[in-house]
Amino acid sequence: MSLSRRELLKAQAAAVAAAAAGMTVPAVAQPVAGGVGSLEIKWSKAPCRFCGTGCGVMVGVKEGKVVATHGDTLAEVNRGLNCIKGYFLSKIMYGGDRLTTPLLRKKGGVFDKSGELTPVSWDEAFDVMAARAKAVLKENGPTAIGMLGSGQWTAYEGYAATKLMRAGFRSNNLDPNARHCMASAAYAFMRTFGMDEPMGCYDDFEAADAFVLWGSNMAEMHPILWTRLTDRRLSHPHVKVAVLSTFTHRSSDLADIPIVFKPGTDLAILNYIANHIISTGRANQDFVKNHTAFVKGTVDIGYGLRPDHPLEVKAKGAATAGATQPIDFDAYAAFVKDYTLEKVSELTGVERGFLQELAELYADPKRKVMSLWTMGFNQHVRGVWANQLVYNLHLLTGKISEPGNSPFSLTGQPSACGTAREVGTFAHRLPADMTVTNPEHRKRTEEIWRVPHGIIPDKPGYHAVEQDRMLRDGKLNFYWIQVNNNLQAAPNSSRETYPGYRNPDNFIVVSDAYPTVTAMAADLVLPAAMWVEKEGMYGNAERRTHVWRQLVNAPGDARSDLWQMMEFSKRFTTDEVWPAQVLADNPNYRGRTLFDALFRNGMVDKFATTEIPVEYENSEAKAFGFYVQKGLFEEYAEFGRGHGHDLAPFDTYHEVRGLRWPVVNGKETKWRYREGLDPYVKPGKGIDFYGQPDGRARIIAVPYEPPAESPDKEYDIWLVTGRVLEHWHSGSMTMRVPELYKAFPGARVFMHAEDARSRGINQGAEVRVVSRRGEIRTRVDTKGRNRMPRGVVFVPWFDASQLINKATLDATDPISKQADFKKCAVKIILV
Amino acid sequence: MQRIKSFLIWFWQIASRPSAHLSLGFLALGGFVCGVLFWGAFNTALEITNTEKFCTSCHEMHNNVFQELQHTPHFSNRSGVRASCPDCHVPHNWTDKIARKMQASKEVWGKIFGTIDTRQKFQDMRLELAKHEWARLKANDSLECRNCHSAVAMDFTKQTRRASEIHARFLVTGERTCIDCHKGIAHELPDMTGVEPGWQAPPELRDRQSFRENPRDELVRYLASTGAER
Amino acid sequence: MRGQDHPGMKRFRLSVAGALLGGMLVFACGAIYAQNAPQIVPRVTGAAAPMGDVRTPPLARPIVDDKRVMRNYPEQPPIIPHSIENYQLTLKTNRCLDCHRRQYTEGSGAPMISVTHFMDRDGQVLADVTPRRYFCTACHVQQTDARPLVPSTFKDMLLVGSGKK
Repeated sequence: MSLSRRELLKAQAAAVAAAAAGMTVPAVAQPVAGGVGSLEIKWSKAPCRFCGTGCGVMVGVKEGKVVATHGDTLAEVNRGLNCIKGYFLSKIMYGGDRLTTPLLRKKGGVFDKSGELTPVSWDEAFDVMAARAKAVLKENGPTAIGMLGSGQWTAYEGYAATKLMRAGFRSNNLDPNARHCMASAAYAFMRTFGMDEPMGCYDDFEAADAFVLWGSNMAEMHPILWTRLTDRRLSHPHVKVAVLSTFTHRSSDLADIPIVFKPGTDLAILNYIANHIISTGRANQDFVKNHTAFVKGTVDIGYGLRPDHPLEVKAKGAATAGATQPIDFDAYAAFVKDYTLEKVSELTGVERGFLQELAELYADPKRKVMSLWTMGFNQHVRGVWANQLVYNLHLLTGKISEPGNSPFSLTGQPSACGTAREVGTFAHRLPADMTVTNPEHRKRTEEIWRVPHGIIPDKPGYHAVEQDRMLRDGKLNFYWIQVNNNLQAAPNSSRETYPGYRNPDNFIVVSDAYPTVTAMAADLVLPAAMWVEKEGMYGNAERRTHVWRQLVNAPGDARSDLWQMMEFSKRFTTDEVWPAQVLADNPNYRGRTLFDALFRNGMVDKFATTEIPVEYENSEAKAFGFYVQKGLFEEYAEFGRGHGHDLAPFDTYHEVRGLRWPVVNGKETKWRYREGLDPYVKPGKGIDFYGQPDGRARIIAVPYEPPAESPDKEYDIWLVTGRVLEHWHSGSMTMRVPELYKAFPGARVFMHAEDARSRGINQGAEVRVVSRRGEIRTRVDTKGRNRMPRGVVFVPWFDASQLINKATLDATDPISKQADFKKCAVKIILV
Repeated sequence: MQRIKSFLIWFWQIASRPSAHLSLGFLALGGFVCGVLFWGAFNTALEITNTEKFCTSCHEMHNNVFQELQHTPHFSNRSGVRASCPDCHVPHNWTDKIARKMQASKEVWGKIFGTIDTRQKFQDMRLELAKHEWARLKANDSLECRNCHSAVAMDFTKQTRRASEIHARFLVTGERTCIDCHKGIAHELPDMTGVEPGWQAPPELRDRQSFRENPRDELVRYLASTGAER
Repeated sequence: MRGQDHPGMKRFRLSVAGALLGGMLVFACGAIYAQNAPQIVPRVTGAAAPMGDVRTPPLARPIVDDKRVMRNYPEQPPIIPHSIENYQLTLKTNRCLDCHRRQYTEGSGAPMISVTHFMDRDGQVLADVTPRRYFCTACHVQQTDARPLVPSTFKDMLLVGSGKK
């Protein structure tokens, strides 16, 4: 290894010369074989691929491979920190079983649904796929075509998907897996404020005096936000943390007020706190009088099951679940008066002292409170109510829209906000908070999309859970799944999801980077590029839009979802998919491919590939001959500019670590709806909830209603599902990182030791978790990180060999249609 | 007060007078039988109060410390040998046991008046309660630990290297006792601000200052300890 | 050594090479097969019979051999090579820091928390661990004796490109 003196001198001389020329050379302690150049790593910024926190990372590339990642010190969200998953981002793309070629089910050389998955070319894949889509369109029309996307799509991909589905195939059967994740939050935002997404931002962490976690386990699910919360709590002794959950977990370790309540009873606690605020005379009368309006919600709204389910037949309010009627403050006060300390303590099983302490955090006018929640509220048969009930508390006390006073809905996917919500991939939504049912909104969208009027269908499509039901019933026949593992994620999957995929009438396409459970159940598998293998844009939970460049190439024939959709659109002409009348009225659209009509429309193809810096690849630009991402961005940005969703110029995003919209006059907005902080609030207004026509946020009176299924004699224990720190969602990425896999190598059922012993079950024993719908085999853990109360078990869903969603119930919130993955009844049986 | 005094005098007069009707044998035998019965009952009662079932029949014990115990090796482990409450909290030899039981009368008092009848109150008292147990185990050289865990019986080759080194250095030499390091092994710890790791040398033997406490407190304590020795 | 080879050995070596090549072919085919056949690793691709049940292996055991493991890149948080069973890491106490805090490392012999752990959100160096890094287990995890499900093709930064030139 020893270098000759000559080589050594040469290396030194090079370093000196480089320094003189103003170049930076990595400092080396000793000479290196191959010269200092061999040490250089090219660093570029990107957002993390995992949760909705939206941490900035620096990605190190050497010779076309990602070799290292670390937290970006310039990223405001995380300031250099990452969680254990983030630190291992460099390895997520390098699982040994990456899909590198399309796979089609074939028998005897031709497509056969009962055949084996066989490698085929992209041409063959798209030929078969297009033929199936055309046959379905001809036989059953556009409503038989559907797509399930994701909050992991880049915003460009989500935007292209919404355009392709609604304006191309004329189907609103487009939904993101975000339906399982934050639909309840989105509906509650619209119902309360008339505008989606939080008014505050992460800066609230450094300003609050109290934090209340409603069913969220941030220590494991949002670890970097947890570092900010921990920082605040430990640095300032007056700060209090309350953690509410159905079991004790790592977040409880920081709790001053640890509360374990009976599943579903959080609604009663919320109404008790409202009652406490009003009855102790601490409602902020000024704020309530000037900026809020009271409404009463429909009650007995059912559980979003199939319409013939006895629970739905019985529910009187199911048909009008979302309806509200105006009431006044006195009626509201009288309504919550029932939720007394005694009654709520009895119902929830929580000590009175803790409930009082919690209520005081909100009632005390001197305390700034940040409320935080994710799946505990959202995956709840009354999820929209739960979200709205927490807004009630902030609105009653006026603790909102200012630093530290913040009801904050966290998200679980990297672009749940940016893609699923903002660009409009929900079955009923269009970009920038618009809906398909509103003729004005459809018209505006058609104009910006540069497609003829009357193209976008006016009826909301099937939502994610309904898509599964329709696939099973044979009403949805062509189904494209991108960036998600729905067979592992969907509730009651054995009965409601899998049968639809294998229904002989249906053709299922799955685009993924790895052979997931879902991919393995598909008829056609398309290999996908992931994360920094493509240029992208994500929007995190605090309205921060963050972009990245393509840093490496995807392996083999893997292609981005964006390329797949655009390339596929070339195989359809407007004559095949658009109504004859529309084409007769707009003859210039005749005979054009969907690719031409949607993506070569003078806007999406406006920007030349030369705008991409030469040091970065861009596979889509190379394939289509224009800077696709910038074109899609600019077209999409038209929706929001001047309408409360303003984005900064495209190139700015490549320089900064994300900006929080609305970005007006080059300035991001940290807090909305308050004068001086939000440019959309006119001077003199003070507070203006401008999403609502009357500028008033809604305070809603809704009661506690029980879960769809509770334990009984036979199925005697609650099942709660969720995640663990080391794995993200279905584990398709993290299970392939050896270090993460070895840290938590399989799911298990967390259980109370006395529950286990009373059933004769040992720690570590193999058991079956059985519900009325399905079962899994797993191992018992009575000592792990989750400390269960008696009568409740927890199973994480990342493990494909333990598909716990075979056991969960497909009950949903009747308003948001989001499934409740947190509450059903099971029994535990020794194997 | 006067009445009690007169009652005692009356009782002594009866008890001190020789029996006129009963034989000496009957009295001796009867006394013996009564003694046996009493002793049996006493011991049975003692035994009953010396079980986990008895301890956890109070919700204060069941909902707090017993729940925490269930996540630890003293509740479930490889060999299935387990420690129940009295194994660690009640001395095995008789005099100490009786002394501990007499102390427990204070706990009955606490139960009646609800000193720790909510989780909140328990958390507030936790440091004080823990300190009592640490002090007791420190004073008796971790006697209850050693009832099962004999230092000399430890096979260092079966321990992790780190554990065997530490045991060789601190435990076998008698420099430290079990409780110094193994606090919080069966229940959650209270607020440990100001409690140093067990393997730290005691402040009076250290040439550098303590890291968790105010140096002035330390000086006061040092002076107090040297004063006590004199 | 090379000079000492005799002809028979050469033939033997050839056949070994052939066998190796054949073995590699079989392995490669197997790997391709593995990509398409779900039954190979149910933990990532699901059971062989779709939606079927899989026997659950026993819970893997944490590795507690106290051996330092090389990091994949300098920025990777080191893994925990010892038992942390029942280590309390709460508002009230932090068992990890009982050994890894700067002032305790002399007695405990444990590695000191890195210098970055003293910096607050603004990059200022504090006298003790920064509160934002209080919960160690957000970044540092144990490893179990479970064997990785699929091989990783991740390449070390010092090995990338070293085959060329």
